[in-house]
Amino acid sequence: MTTGTEPPKVLRREWASVEGWRDTKAGMWAWLVQRVAAILLLVVIALHLMNPFVRPVQAVLLALALLHALLGVRALLLDVGVPLRWSTPMFAGAIVVAVALFALVWTWRWY
Amino acid sequence: MSMTALLAAPDRVVPRTVTLRVFRWSPGERERSQTYEVAAGADSTVLDALVEIQRRQDPTLAFRYACRVGMCGSCAMVVNGRERWACRTRLVTLGDAVDVRPLYHFPLLRDLVVDMAPFVARMQAVGAALVPAPGAPGYAQVPGDGAERRGIDPAIECIGCGMCVSACTMVAHNPRFPGPAALNRAFTLQLDPRDAGRDDRWRALTSDDALWRCHGQGNCTAVCPMGLAPTTSIARLRRMATRRLFGLA
Repeated sequence: MTTGTEPPKVLRREWASVEGWRDTKAGMWAWLVQRVAAILLLVVIALHLMNPFVRPVQAVLLALALLHALLGVRALLLDVGVPLRWSTPMFAGAIVVAVALFALVWTWRWY
Repeated sequence: MSMTALLAAPDRVVPRTVTLRVFRWSPGERERSQTYEVAAGADSTVLDALVEIQRRQDPTLAFRYACRVGMCGSCAMVVNGRERWACRTRLVTLGDAVDVRPLYHFPLLRDLVVDMAPFVARMQAVGAALVPAPGAPGYAQVPGDGAERRGIDPAIECIGCGMCVSACTMVAHNPRFPGPAALNRAFTLQLDPRDAGRDDRWRALTSDDALWRCHGQGNCTAVCPMGLAPTTSIARLRRMATRRLFGLA
Protein backbone atom coordinates (compact mmCIF):
# COMPACT_ATOMS: atom_id res chain seq x y z
CA MET A 1 0.00 0.00 0.00
CA THR A 2 1.16 3.51 -0.70
CA THR A 3 1.48 5.91 2.20
CA GLY A 4 0.77 8.96 0.12
CA THR A 5 4.11 10.49 1.05
CA GLU A 6 6.31 8.52 -1.34
CA PRO A 7 8.11 10.46 -4.06
CA PRO A 8 6.54 10.03 -7.49
CA LYS A 9 7.92 7.20 -9.57
CA VAL A 10 9.74 8.58 -12.60
CA LEU A 11 11.28 6.32 -15.24
CA ARG A 12 14.67 7.20 -16.70
CA ARG A 13 16.90 5.58 -19.28
CA GLU A 14 19.31 3.67 -17.09
CA TRP A 15 22.83 3.71 -18.52
CA ALA A 16 23.52 0.22 -17.17
CA SER A 17 20.57 -1.35 -18.99
CA VAL A 18 20.11 -2.46 -22.58
CA GLU A 19 16.82 -0.58 -22.72
CA GLY A 20 18.62 2.61 -21.75
CA TRP A 21 20.85 2.46 -24.81
CA ARG A 22 18.19 1.32 -27.21
CA ASP A 23 17.61 3.79 -30.03
CA THR A 24 20.53 5.99 -29.01
CA LYS A 25 20.66 8.60 -31.73
CA ALA A 26 23.60 9.90 -33.76
CA GLY A 27 23.59 13.27 -32.01
CA MET A 28 24.03 11.64 -28.65
CA TRP A 29 26.84 9.41 -29.91
CA ALA A 30 28.59 12.52 -31.25
CA TRP A 31 28.25 14.26 -27.89
CA LEU A 32 29.36 11.17 -25.99
CA VAL A 33 32.39 10.44 -28.17
CA GLN A 34 33.60 14.02 -27.85
CA ARG A 35 33.29 13.98 -24.06
CA VAL A 36 34.97 10.61 -23.70
CA ALA A 37 37.77 11.84 -25.98
CA ALA A 38 38.16 14.91 -23.72
CA ILE A 39 38.57 12.79 -20.60
CA LEU A 40 40.97 10.40 -22.30
CA LEU A 41 42.98 13.36 -23.60
CA LEU A 42 43.72 14.43 -20.03
CA VAL A 43 45.19 11.02 -19.28
CA VAL A 44 47.12 10.72 -22.54
CA ILE A 45 48.52 14.26 -22.34
CA ALA A 46 49.85 13.42 -18.86
CA LEU A 47 51.48 10.26 -20.23
CA HIS A 48 52.89 12.21 -23.16
CA LEU A 49 54.43 14.82 -20.87
CA MET A 50 56.13 12.10 -18.82
CA ASN A 51 57.81 10.68 -21.93
CA PRO A 52 57.09 12.37 -25.27
CA PHE A 53 58.92 9.71 -27.31
CA VAL A 54 56.58 6.76 -26.83
CA ARG A 55 55.08 6.05 -30.26
CA PRO A 56 51.77 4.47 -29.14
CA VAL A 57 51.09 7.40 -26.81
CA GLN A 58 51.84 9.82 -29.64
CA ALA A 59 49.40 7.95 -31.88
CA VAL A 60 46.60 7.91 -29.32
CA LEU A 61 47.17 11.58 -28.51
CA LEU A 62 46.94 12.52 -32.17
CA ALA A 63 43.81 10.41 -32.71
CA LEU A 64 42.02 11.78 -29.65
CA ALA A 65 42.96 15.39 -30.40
CA LEU A 66 41.68 15.09 -33.96
CA LEU A 67 38.46 13.43 -32.86
CA HIS A 68 37.78 15.91 -30.10
CA ALA A 69 38.61 18.96 -32.20
CA LEU A 70 36.64 17.93 -35.27
CA LEU A 71 33.56 17.02 -33.24
CA GLY A 72 33.95 20.41 -31.57
CA VAL A 73 33.95 22.08 -34.98
CA ARG A 74 30.75 20.17 -35.78
CA ALA A 75 29.11 21.42 -32.58
CA LEU A 76 30.29 24.95 -33.34
CA LEU A 77 28.84 24.84 -36.84
CA LEU A 78 25.47 23.73 -35.46
CA ASP A 79 25.64 26.57 -32.91
CA VAL A 80 26.22 29.21 -35.56
CA GLY A 81 23.29 28.09 -37.66
CA VAL A 82 24.18 25.18 -39.93
CA PRO A 83 20.83 23.38 -40.37
CA LEU A 84 20.23 20.49 -38.01
CA ARG A 85 19.67 18.11 -40.94
CA TRP A 86 23.46 18.24 -41.40
CA SER A 87 24.02 17.02 -37.85
CA THR A 88 24.46 13.34 -38.67
CA PRO A 89 26.38 13.86 -41.95
CA MET A 90 28.74 16.21 -40.09
CA PHE A 91 29.24 13.57 -37.40
CA ALA A 92 30.16 11.02 -40.04
CA GLY A 93 32.29 13.63 -41.80
CA ALA A 94 34.19 14.45 -38.61
CA ILE A 95 35.03 10.76 -38.10
CA VAL A 96 36.14 10.34 -41.71
CA VAL A 97 38.27 13.50 -41.68
CA ALA A 98 39.81 12.48 -38.33
CA VAL A 99 40.79 9.08 -39.73
CA ALA A 100 42.12 10.62 -42.94
CA LEU A 101 44.17 13.27 -41.12
CA PHE A 102 45.51 10.69 -38.70
CA ALA A 103 46.61 8.43 -41.56
CA LEU A 104 48.14 11.37 -43.39
CA VAL A 105 50.09 12.74 -40.45
CA TRP A 106 51.16 9.34 -39.14
CA THR A 107 52.34 8.18 -42.55
CA TRP A 108 54.26 11.33 -43.42
CA ARG A 109 55.63 12.26 -40.02
CA TRP A 110 59.16 13.56 -40.22
CA TYR A 111 60.46 12.53 -36.80
CA MET B 1 -2.49 -3.21 -57.98
CA SER B 2 -6.18 -3.96 -58.51
CA MET B 3 -8.60 -3.84 -55.62
CA THR B 4 -9.12 -7.61 -55.89
CA ALA B 5 -5.39 -8.25 -55.67
CA LEU B 6 -5.05 -5.80 -52.79
CA LEU B 7 -7.72 -7.54 -50.76
CA ALA B 8 -6.28 -10.94 -51.62
CA ALA B 9 -2.76 -9.97 -50.48
CA PRO B 10 -1.80 -12.43 -47.73
CA ASP B 11 -0.87 -9.79 -45.17
CA ARG B 12 -4.28 -8.19 -45.61
CA VAL B 13 -6.14 -11.43 -45.04
CA VAL B 14 -4.07 -13.39 -42.54
CA PRO B 15 -3.25 -11.40 -39.43
CA ARG B 16 0.12 -12.14 -37.90
CA THR B 17 0.67 -12.58 -34.20
CA VAL B 18 2.58 -9.84 -32.46
CA THR B 19 3.87 -10.13 -28.92
CA LEU B 20 3.57 -6.96 -26.86
CA ARG B 21 5.65 -6.63 -23.71
CA VAL B 22 3.88 -3.91 -21.79
CA PHE B 23 5.19 -2.03 -18.77
CA ARG B 24 2.85 -2.45 -15.81
CA TRP B 25 2.93 -0.56 -12.54
CA SER B 26 0.46 0.76 -10.01
CA PRO B 27 1.21 2.84 -6.89
CA GLY B 28 2.47 0.63 -4.11
CA GLU B 29 3.34 -2.23 -6.44
CA ARG B 30 6.56 -3.38 -8.07
CA GLU B 31 6.96 -2.63 -11.74
CA ARG B 32 6.77 -5.59 -14.09
CA SER B 33 6.51 -6.43 -17.75
CA GLN B 34 3.42 -8.26 -18.96
CA THR B 35 3.25 -10.09 -22.26
CA TYR B 36 0.22 -10.19 -24.52
CA GLU B 37 -0.28 -11.71 -27.96
CA VAL B 38 -2.36 -9.80 -30.47
CA ALA B 39 -3.45 -10.60 -34.01
CA ALA B 40 -2.28 -7.69 -36.13
CA GLY B 41 -3.37 -6.77 -39.64
CA ALA B 42 -1.24 -4.86 -42.10
CA ASP B 43 -2.37 -1.49 -40.84
CA SER B 44 -2.85 -2.27 -37.16
CA THR B 45 -1.23 0.27 -34.89
CA VAL B 46 0.23 -0.02 -31.41
CA LEU B 47 -2.86 1.78 -30.12
CA ASP B 48 -5.13 -0.74 -31.88
CA ALA B 49 -3.26 -3.53 -30.12
CA LEU B 50 -3.52 -1.85 -26.71
CA VAL B 51 -7.25 -1.27 -27.16
CA GLU B 52 -7.64 -4.91 -28.22
CA ILE B 53 -5.79 -6.05 -25.11
CA GLN B 54 -7.86 -3.83 -22.85
CA ARG B 55 -11.16 -4.95 -24.38
CA ARG B 56 -10.54 -8.68 -24.71
CA GLN B 57 -7.61 -9.73 -22.53
CA ASP B 58 -6.93 -7.38 -19.64
CA PRO B 59 -9.33 -4.56 -18.74
CA THR B 60 -6.95 -3.39 -16.00
CA LEU B 61 -4.37 -2.12 -18.49
CA ALA B 62 -4.21 1.67 -18.30
CA PHE B 63 -3.15 3.93 -21.15
CA ARG B 64 -4.24 7.29 -22.51
CA TYR B 65 -5.58 8.26 -25.90
CA ALA B 66 -8.13 10.61 -27.39
CA CYS B 67 -8.23 11.45 -31.08
CA ARG B 68 -6.75 8.19 -32.49
CA VAL B 69 -5.70 9.98 -35.66
CA GLY B 70 -2.38 11.63 -34.84
CA MET B 71 -3.59 15.04 -33.79
CA CYS B 72 -3.69 15.26 -30.01
CA GLY B 73 -0.49 13.47 -28.95
CA SER B 74 -2.08 11.99 -25.84
CA CYS B 75 -1.06 8.42 -26.79
CA ALA B 76 2.65 9.27 -26.68
CA MET B 77 4.70 6.40 -25.26
CA VAL B 78 8.04 4.67 -25.70
CA VAL B 79 7.79 1.87 -28.23
CA ASN B 80 10.87 -0.28 -28.86
CA GLY B 81 13.05 2.28 -27.12
CA ARG B 82 11.83 5.30 -29.06
CA GLU B 83 9.19 7.92 -28.28
CA ARG B 84 6.26 7.55 -30.67
CA TRP B 85 2.55 8.19 -30.80
CA ALA B 86 0.85 4.84 -30.53
CA CYS B 87 -1.97 5.72 -32.93
CA ARG B 88 0.41 6.41 -35.82
CA THR B 89 2.86 3.58 -35.24
CA ARG B 90 2.04 0.53 -37.33
CA LEU B 91 2.95 -2.81 -35.82
CA VAL B 92 4.25 -4.02 -39.18
CA THR B 93 7.18 -1.60 -38.83
CA LEU B 94 8.23 -2.97 -35.44
CA GLY B 95 8.84 -6.70 -35.82
CA ASP B 96 7.16 -9.56 -33.99
CA ALA B 97 8.09 -8.41 -30.46
CA VAL B 98 7.14 -4.92 -29.35
CA ASP B 99 8.14 -3.30 -26.06
CA VAL B 100 5.76 -0.63 -24.82
CA ARG B 101 6.73 1.65 -21.95
CA PRO B 102 5.47 5.00 -20.62
CA LEU B 103 7.25 8.27 -21.39
CA TYR B 104 10.43 8.90 -19.43
CA HIS B 105 10.97 11.82 -17.04
CA PHE B 106 7.31 12.19 -16.09
CA PRO B 107 5.74 11.00 -12.82
CA LEU B 108 4.01 7.70 -13.41
CA LEU B 109 0.34 7.48 -12.57
CA ARG B 110 -0.26 3.90 -13.63
CA ASP B 111 0.95 1.50 -16.35
CA LEU B 112 1.47 3.65 -19.47
CA VAL B 113 -0.16 6.78 -18.07
CA VAL B 114 2.04 9.63 -16.89
CA ASP B 115 1.30 12.90 -15.12
CA MET B 116 1.75 15.77 -17.60
CA ALA B 117 1.67 18.47 -14.90
CA PRO B 118 5.49 18.91 -14.96
CA PHE B 119 5.24 19.66 -18.68
CA VAL B 120 3.03 22.65 -17.89
CA ALA B 121 5.25 23.65 -14.97
CA ARG B 122 8.29 23.73 -17.27
CA MET B 123 6.37 25.96 -19.67
CA GLN B 124 5.45 28.31 -16.83
CA ALA B 125 9.06 28.39 -15.61
CA VAL B 126 10.19 30.11 -18.81
CA GLY B 127 7.12 32.33 -19.10
CA ALA B 128 5.81 30.47 -22.10
CA ALA B 129 2.61 32.49 -22.37
CA LEU B 130 2.04 35.61 -24.40
CA VAL B 131 2.17 38.83 -22.40
CA PRO B 132 0.17 41.26 -24.56
CA ALA B 133 2.02 44.48 -25.23
CA PRO B 134 -0.05 47.65 -24.84
CA GLY B 135 -1.39 48.60 -28.24
CA ALA B 136 0.05 45.52 -29.96
CA PRO B 137 -1.58 44.53 -33.26
CA GLY B 138 -4.09 41.70 -33.21
CA TYR B 139 -3.25 38.28 -34.52
CA ALA B 140 -4.69 38.92 -37.97
CA GLN B 141 -2.54 42.03 -38.30
CA VAL B 142 0.76 40.17 -38.04
CA PRO B 143 1.66 39.73 -41.71
CA GLY B 144 1.89 36.13 -42.85
CA ASP B 145 4.97 36.84 -44.93
CA GLY B 146 6.70 39.01 -42.33
CA ALA B 147 10.17 38.29 -40.96
CA GLU B 148 8.73 37.39 -37.55
CA ARG B 149 6.35 34.85 -39.03
CA ARG B 150 9.07 33.27 -41.16
CA GLY B 151 11.14 32.85 -38.02
CA ILE B 152 8.32 31.56 -35.87
CA ASP B 153 6.43 29.34 -38.31
CA PRO B 154 8.82 26.36 -38.23
CA ALA B 155 8.51 26.25 -34.42
CA ILE B 156 4.75 26.42 -33.88
CA GLU B 157 2.27 23.55 -34.01
CA CYS B 158 3.60 21.89 -30.83
CA ILE B 159 0.83 19.58 -29.60
CA GLY B 160 2.29 19.15 -26.11
CA CYS B 161 2.71 15.39 -26.36
CA GLY B 162 5.84 15.38 -24.16
CA MET B 163 7.90 13.09 -26.40
CA CYS B 164 10.74 15.61 -26.63
CA VAL B 165 10.91 15.88 -22.84
CA SER B 166 11.05 12.10 -22.61
CA ALA B 167 13.87 11.90 -25.17
CA CYS B 168 15.96 14.74 -23.68
CA THR B 169 19.00 13.55 -21.75
CA MET B 170 19.44 16.90 -20.00
CA VAL B 171 15.93 16.70 -18.54
CA ALA B 172 16.98 13.34 -17.13
CA HIS B 173 19.85 14.84 -15.17
CA ASN B 174 18.66 18.33 -14.34
CA PRO B 175 15.08 18.71 -13.08
CA ARG B 176 15.39 22.50 -13.38
CA PHE B 177 16.12 22.36 -17.11
CA PRO B 178 12.96 23.59 -18.89
CA GLY B 179 13.20 21.00 -21.64
CA PRO B 180 12.81 21.24 -25.41
CA ALA B 181 9.11 22.06 -25.66
CA ALA B 182 9.25 24.96 -23.21
CA LEU B 183 12.38 26.42 -24.83
CA ASN B 184 10.84 26.01 -28.27
CA ARG B 185 7.72 27.84 -27.09
CA ALA B 186 9.82 30.57 -25.50
CA PHE B 187 11.64 31.02 -28.81
CA THR B 188 8.39 31.72 -30.64
CA LEU B 189 7.44 34.33 -28.04
CA GLN B 190 10.83 36.05 -28.07
CA LEU B 191 10.27 36.70 -31.77
CA ASP B 192 6.66 37.77 -31.35
CA PRO B 193 6.30 41.55 -31.78
CA ARG B 194 3.05 41.54 -29.78
CA ASP B 195 4.72 40.18 -26.65
CA ALA B 196 5.82 42.37 -23.74
CA GLY B 197 7.36 39.67 -21.56
CA ARG B 198 10.73 39.32 -23.26
CA ASP B 199 12.93 40.81 -20.54
CA ASP B 200 11.47 38.59 -17.83
CA ARG B 201 11.72 35.61 -20.17
CA TRP B 202 15.37 36.35 -20.97
CA ARG B 203 16.11 36.30 -17.25
CA ALA B 204 14.65 32.82 -17.02
CA LEU B 205 16.23 31.62 -20.26
CA THR B 206 19.74 32.81 -19.45
CA SER B 207 19.74 31.46 -15.90
CA ASP B 208 22.17 28.70 -14.95
CA ASP B 209 19.81 25.82 -15.67
CA ALA B 210 18.13 26.84 -18.91
CA LEU B 211 19.30 27.74 -22.38
CA TRP B 212 23.00 27.05 -22.00
CA ARG B 213 22.54 23.56 -20.58
CA CYS B 214 21.26 22.02 -23.81
CA HIS B 215 23.82 19.59 -25.25
CA GLY B 216 22.49 19.88 -28.78
CA GLN B 217 22.14 16.13 -29.20
CA GLY B 218 18.96 16.57 -31.21
CA ASN B 219 17.03 13.73 -29.55
CA CYS B 220 14.00 16.02 -29.17
CA THR B 221 14.03 16.86 -32.85
CA ALA B 222 14.44 13.22 -33.85
CA VAL B 223 11.28 12.14 -32.02
CA CYS B 224 8.99 15.16 -32.53
CA PRO B 225 5.90 13.78 -34.30
CA MET B 226 5.10 17.20 -35.74
CA GLY B 227 8.52 17.57 -37.34
CA LEU B 228 9.49 20.53 -35.18
CA ALA B 229 13.14 21.16 -34.35
CA PRO B 230 13.47 22.36 -30.75
CA THR B 231 17.25 21.97 -31.08
CA THR B 232 17.22 24.60 -33.82
CA SER B 233 14.98 26.89 -31.74
CA ILE B 234 17.38 26.57 -28.81
CA ALA B 235 20.38 27.33 -31.04
CA ARG B 236 18.58 30.40 -32.38
CA LEU B 237 17.70 31.53 -28.86
CA ARG B 238 21.36 31.20 -27.90
CA ARG B 239 22.43 33.34 -30.82
CA MET B 240 19.78 35.92 -29.92
CA ALA B 241 20.95 35.88 -26.29
CA THR B 242 24.57 36.30 -27.37
CA ARG B 243 23.71 39.27 -29.58
CA ARG B 244 21.74 40.75 -26.68
CA LEU B 245 24.71 40.22 -24.36
CA PHE B 246 26.93 42.26 -26.66
CA GLY B 247 24.28 44.94 -27.18
CA LEU B 248 23.68 43.97 -30.79
CA ALA B 249 19.94 43.27 -30.40
